[in-house]
This record gives sequence, C-alpha cells and structure tokens, in this order.
Amino acid sequence: MDIVSPILTDLQLLAKPSLFNVYFAVASIPAGFLFAIFMALGKASRNRLIANLCRGYVYAFRGSPFFIQLFMFYSLALAFNVTLWKPLGIDWLILHPLFLGPVILTLNTTAYTAEIFHGALQAVPRGELEAARAYGMSRWQQFRSVTWPHLIRIAWPAYTNEVVFLFHATALVYFTLPVIDDQKDLMNKAGELFERDYNAFLHFSVAALYFLLISLVIFAIFGLIYRRLMRHMPQVPRLRLAVRWLG
Amino acid sequence: MLEILPEWMKDGIGDDLLFWLGYFTNGKHLAWYASVQYTLLAAVLGAAFALLFGLGGATLKNSRWLPLRLIGSGYTNMVRGVPDVLFFLFFPLAFEQLVELIRAQAVCTPETLADNAGRWPPCDAANWYLGTNEYLLLACVSLGIVYGAFTANVIHGAMRSVPRGQLEAARAFGMSTSQVLWRIHIRQMWVYALPGLSNCWMLLIKSTALLSLLQIADIVLWADRLGAPNYTPTAGLVHPDWRWQYYLVLLVFYILLTFVSEKVFAGLMRWAGRGTLVARS
Repeated sequence: MDIVSPILTDLQLLAKPSLFNVYFAVASIPAGFLFAIFMALGKASRNRLIANLCRGYVYAFRGSPFFIQLFMFYSLALAFNVTLWKPLGIDWLILHPLFLGPVILTLNTTAYTAEIFHGALQAVPRGELEAARAYGMSRWQQFRSVTWPHLIRIAWPAYTNEVVFLFHATALVYFTLPVIDDQKDLMNKAGELFERDYNAFLHFSVAALYFLLISLVIFAIFGLIYRRLMRHMPQVPRLRLAVRWLG
Repeated sequence: MLEILPEWMKDGIGDDLLFWLGYFTNGKHLAWYASVQYTLLAAVLGAAFALLFGLGGATLKNSRWLPLRLIGSGYTNMVRGVPDVLFFLFFPLAFEQLVELIRAQAVCTPETLADNAGRWPPCDAANWYLGTNEYLLLACVSLGIVYGAFTANVIHGAMRSVPRGQLEAARAFGMSTSQVLWRIHIRQMWVYALPGLSNCWMLLIKSTALLSLLQIADIVLWADRLGAPNYTPTAGLVHPDWRWQYYLVLLVFYILLTFVSEKVFAGLMRWAGRGTLVARS
C-alpha cells in the first residue's frame, strides 16, 4: 500500500486552507499587541475607574472560553444587522468572517497579552524609573526609554506562547462563523476530506502537521526577534513553550 | 413548574414576572439547566484522566531508559504544538473507527464488505452506534490526553522542585526506593505542582465548551436552540433572535466557574503549603 502519495496529496489540498489560519493570526496579532499595551497600562493606572474597567475586561476574556466569545459576538453582530449595519451599508463587512473573525480574536488576545504585559510592567526595575525621573524626563520619555525596553524583553517569551496559542485558537473560528464559498480553513477542509473517504487518521494528521509546522515557524521568528532584543546580553536565554498561564 | 407556587404568591408577584418565571422554567429551559451536568462531568472526569495521563507522562519523562523518555517528551510536545480542538475531534473519531475495524474482522462477510466498498463502516453489522454517554466518555478521554500533556510538564517540573535534602534524609532513614517515591517525593510534589495544576484546570474547564462539537446536547447547544428566532404558524413570531443574551449567560457562567475555581485552588494551596516555606504571591 502506498503511504506517501496520499499524504502528499493532502499536503497540497490543505496548503491553501492553512493560509486562512495564518491570515486570522496575522490579522489579529498586531492590533492585539497595540491594544494590549494600552490595556496593561490601564490596568496599572492610578485612576481607580480605568484600572477596574481594564481588570474586568481582562478577567472576563481570560475567564471564559474563546468558543463562547465567538458565538456571542457573532450573534451580537447578527442582532444589530437590521437596525444598524444594513442602514449604514456596512453589513457585508461586519458580517464577513474574514473581518469578524480577526476582530473577535483581537478582543481575546488583547486580554491575554495585556495580562502578560501587566505582569512584565510590575517587574520593570523601580530604580531605573526613579533615575529617569531624576534626569527630568517626561512621562513619555520615561516610557519610551526605560519602561518599554524592559517590558518587552521581560514579556517576550510569554508573548511568544500567547501568539502560538492564538494561532491554535484560529482553528475554532470557522466552527462558528459561516464559511463563504471555498474559504475553508484547516479544520473545515480536513473535516470535508474526512467526510469524503472517512480516513480520519490521514486528514487530521496532515492538518495537525500544518499546525505543528506553522507553530515552529512562529517560534523561529519570535526567537530571532528575541535574540535581537537581547543582543546586549552576553548569553541569550532560550525560549520555551509553556502553558498559557492564568493568574 | 409554576404549579408548585401557592396561589397567594402568584397574586403577589404580578402577571409580568409570572410570565417570565413560567417562560424560564418551561421544559426546554429546564433541559438547558440540566445540561450543565455534562459540562461539569466532562470537567471533573477530564481532569481525572488528565491527572492520570499527566502522572504517566511525567513518569515517562523521568524514565532512565532513553526510548521511554523520548516517548514522554514527544507526547508532551506534540500535544502542545497542535490545537486542542483537533485532538478533541480526532480522538473520538479515530477510536470509533478502530473499534469498528476490529469488529469488522469478526462480523463482516466478504459479501457485505463488497457491498460497502469505499464507505465506512466496512459493513453495516460493524457499525458502532455512539450515544451521548459514549461520546461524553470519549470527550473526557480526549480532554485528558490534551491536558494530560500540560499536566505532565507541571508534575515533571514539580518533581524536580522537591528539595534534594528531603529525599536524602528519607533514604538515610532506611526507606526503600518506592517508599521514598510514594511517601516523600510524590507527597511533597503537590505543593509545587498546585499552581500549575490550577492553570491546567482553568484551561480544561474552558475547553468543556467544545462538547457540542461531538453532538452532545450541552449548554452551548441548548443556548443556541433556545435563543434562535422562534416562529410558530399559530402564534407567529414568538421571539426574535435572542442568541447573544443566552451566550452572555454562558459567558457569565464560565467566568463564575473560573472565579470559584480560583478561590478553591487558593484555599488548597494554603492547605497544602501549611508548615512549609513556599513563596506565595
């Protein structure tokens, strides 16, 4: 029995679907990163109201399953379709899975990343901040030249894990959102192939292989960035994959 | 459900409230509330399996024999590189097919096999019908496999955190290797493992939302059914799309579950760490 050729066929068939998973991740990571900085700063804010709002947001999104969040925001978007999106003429955009998917992923990853950044923010050396203040630096200068460089270096290994987990979470998007035409992602396509010939082992393994390979690529890229961030250190600590810590 | 209320109470709370009380206790809603049992059962049973696989995985990783060590780290790394939903769907399917394949050897005749060529199951007699309970059990096992890998890492790390001196002292007292392992090493390991196990549990309860993917009528499926626009020919549109409100309830349910778990684990850590010097945050 020929084992290699069906695997090669599957690798070909699943190449395009894997791009949809990559798209979801790539579309939501930059926005999530940016929002998370503000959310982390907000969580550490001295303003009680802002701090509590940010804390509530982070707790709610980290304390509930992404699967439910997807369902809720999709049905929320549907509920406002007739009253809001249709009159504004943007229903085609809002309800499009390639737009709504990244939006919900961004909301989710913002919370997880904010928690990582907030933890790192607490670990920024006090002394250096005091020194910066003694030099007469403005708040922005302090952030730019002391807080941020420390924060990103401390947070990077954990952030790498979060990105890998976000990529894994993209597998859930099309279980909720409608699939338009042939815009299937890895799980959809693997499921479709499975229904054709009932070969679960082959199709799901190849899909898993894609997830594994892309995860490794993410690790390689983020490892390179980490090396660059840590280039002033004599020895760069190695990145390790850990559980998406909560708490 | 409303019949159990006494008459004076019905008068007291007013028609509006009475209507809603009746609506939220109708048969479908009661089925929804009852389906919470699947979620909780999957969480508890899944955690038990995860702990089992975790201990097994940690043992493999600690093995002195290289192939076993490789299997152990292969297991823990592979599961982490692949999304949990893939395992969640794959394992029950694969298990079902495996059982049907074995059954097919016994019950299928060449004629029935030829009839069903290219389809699954190999022949009708080999078909294994899976009900809710079977799927639930398989779902628990696959949760156990996925989170067992995380648990294995946690336990592996915790085993190495137990101070050497404790084990050396136990050996000096003349304990055998297995006595040291069971009475000292594993007992002390829990203190170091608890924070990590708490995280695994949080991840696990969040994945119980996926049960509906295996055709189990769990809280997610019921919320979808109850919230969907309800139209009957006699009564017209009973209610429009209420799904997001129902999902919001689920969201709050899971947040509460997380909150309670956090409190319980904090208590457990205090209890397990009594009398020891473990840094607490």
